[in-house]
Amino acid sequence: MIKSITDFINYWYFRYLMVTELYMVEKWERVTIHVIFLVIFLLFWYFNYSVLLSFTGRILGITPISSVLHAATTSKFSAAA
Amino acid sequence: MADSGGSEMSDFTATYSETATVESNSNHIGNGSVAYEKVDSEESLRNRRRLNGTAVNHRDEDLRKTTSSSQQNGLNFSKHNTSSGDKESFEEVSLISACLTYLGFYLLMVLGYINQLLFKPKVTKEENREGYVPLYNSFERFYMLYIYRRVRDCWNRPICSVPGAELTLKDRITPDYGWTFEFTGTQTRCLNLGSYNYLGFAAADGPCADDSAKMIEKRGLAYCSSRQELGTSFLHQDLEALTAKFLGTEDAIVFGMGFATNALNLPTLMSPGCLVLSDEKNHASIILGLRLSGATIKVFKHNNMKDLERVLRDALVYGQPKTGAPWKKMIICVEGVYSMEGSIVKLPEIVALKKKYKAYIYLDEAHSIGATGPHGRGIVDYYGLDPSDVDILMGTFTKSFGSAGGYIAGSKRLINFLRTNSHAHWYASSMSPPVAQQIFTSMSIILGLDGTNEGRRRIEQLARNTRYFRRRLAQIGVITYGHEDSPVIPLLVYLFSKIGAVVRTLTTRKIAVVGVGFPATPIMEGRIRFCLSAAHTKEQLDYALNVIDEISDKLGLKYSRKPRDPNPIEY
Ligand SMILES: Cc1ncc(COP(=O)(O)O)c(C=O)c1O
Repeated sequence: MIKSITDFINYWYFRYLMVTELYMVEKWERVTIHVIFLVIFLLFWYFNYSVLLSFTGRILGITPISSVLHAATTSKFSAAA
Repeated sequence: MADSGGSEMSDFTATYSETATVESNSNHIGNGSVAYEKVDSEESLRNRRRLNGTAVNHRDEDLRKTTSSSQQNGLNFSKHNTSSGDKESFEEVSLISACLTYLGFYLLMVLGYINQLLFKPKVTKEENREGYVPLYNSFERFYMLYIYRRVRDCWNRPICSVPGAELTLKDRITPDYGWTFEFTGTQTRCLNLGSYNYLGFAAADGPCADDSAKMIEKRGLAYCSSRQELGTSFLHQDLEALTAKFLGTEDAIVFGMGFATNALNLPTLMSPGCLVLSDEKNHASIILGLRLSGATIKVFKHNNMKDLERVLRDALVYGQPKTGAPWKKMIICVEGVYSMEGSIVKLPEIVALKKKYKAYIYLDEAHSIGATGPHGRGIVDYYGLDPSDVDILMGTFTKSFGSAGGYIAGSKRLINFLRTNSHAHWYASSMSPPVAQQIFTSMSIILGLDGTNEGRRRIEQLARNTRYFRRRLAQIGVITYGHEDSPVIPLLVYLFSKIGAVVRTLTTRKIAVVGVGFPATPIMEGRIRFCLSAAHTKEQLDYALNVIDEISDKLGLKYSRKPRDPNPIEY
């Protein structure tokens, strides 16, 4: 079971290295590129989360789930009081 | 084109009328996946296949392939081949793979620049050259050092045996990612799928090797002089006569080097004011020869007769640049089998165009002589044309004959003109005696002058190997380029990493192949080139195909979206 999962991961990691041409580069270069990829991914994630999400929410008129929850809890508390 | 396709189709309907109607009807239905369940006879069982909507446009082609397979794998040479494009395939890769390939290339470039910034390359530098511009092209240098170098172990591999059906690789390792290599002292015996040894005449024993060795004892190794001075002997004259006989032309002339045959004879035949129509995939030697000649070069799309006619007509109408004067002469330069694409020139159409517009044809048969045609006489023989339809037949002895050198064959007048004017004839040193003898003996065997049908057997074996190998590869689901009768089989892998990984993996499985990458092909079309030989046996090919099947899953080479033949392919 565990072996088949590691096989699966190894296989697709190898295919990923192939497609990005990272298969043929040196180890430190591979690490560098992966760090760069990670940084880019995190930046995108942060951008999407903080800017794009609230922006599209405002355009489409959708209230983010977190503020709904927040409102719900605060109202409950106020009712109890 | 239309009527040739028609005749094949009518053959088909005659044999399998039942299946043909069923299947052609379903062509109109054909979207979504359709499983053909109607089984009328054993033949239609073989034709049965499953396909899905995307593949419908490839169907006609496949039907026709099935037809030829039932004619004993197309070894039925009695009917002449036609150049309908359906035997040729250039399947395009999906957009996503194309984008990823470019992305990967840019990534490599970026990494290369970073690497160059941080570390000094381990190569010699020019010193004390202040004020001089660099002698070497900087992009090429960068490419060699930071992209090619990483997979350099897959090229220029030293061998230490005759490159026959098998060869012996000298093992080497690199401790520093391709900057330097060290020999380990061991050797690996590999199946050889990389040599242009089409008819298997590259052998360390047998009649060719014996005759050549005897010729060394008799005549030595070289004449050390040009043909016009002291370099001509009966050997060359016999070889020229035999070449002319082999090709069915009036006369022929031979040279000691194939590349120089193109590069030095084209300028003899052409001058400024001439028009040359050159295929975009022509060999470097032709391009060099054409540039040296100073003629106006118009390039047409690879094997595209419409484009050729358009370029030809435009050039004819507008005449020479600036003056508009008529062209001195017009020559169409094509190759028989293209060594990078595996395609075969559409000669009948070109001959028709030549007759219509009164142009000449220069046909380079480097890869097709010996390897194509029922008698091994190249493309002219393959299409069953008259050799006099092609004005200048050029070819090399380097491939099928297992030797070296080149020839030009044609009319007596043409050859006499070359004898008096060609730089290669005047100044290049003449062909070495054992080399000439190797060609003479192998050509005699192909012609059957040795009293056996060994030559015939080799030609048929090569044709059979080619069909088998190509159809098995199609079944595996990889993309191959080219014509189904061409023994050069490029297998598209697209990425540099995949070239490297395939060559390395196949070497561990004892198969030696050649990878071809960027400068020789467009950036995103890296490929592995298989060259088949008459020396390969079915067992060897089966072994190679099984390994390829296995690794193409592992490395992700199954790009093809065509329907696959579910039935076992007969040899
Ligand atoms: C089409 C074509 N012409 C000419 C040549 C040159 O022949 P040689 O290798 O004998 O110099 C080659 C060789 O690769 C070729 O492919």
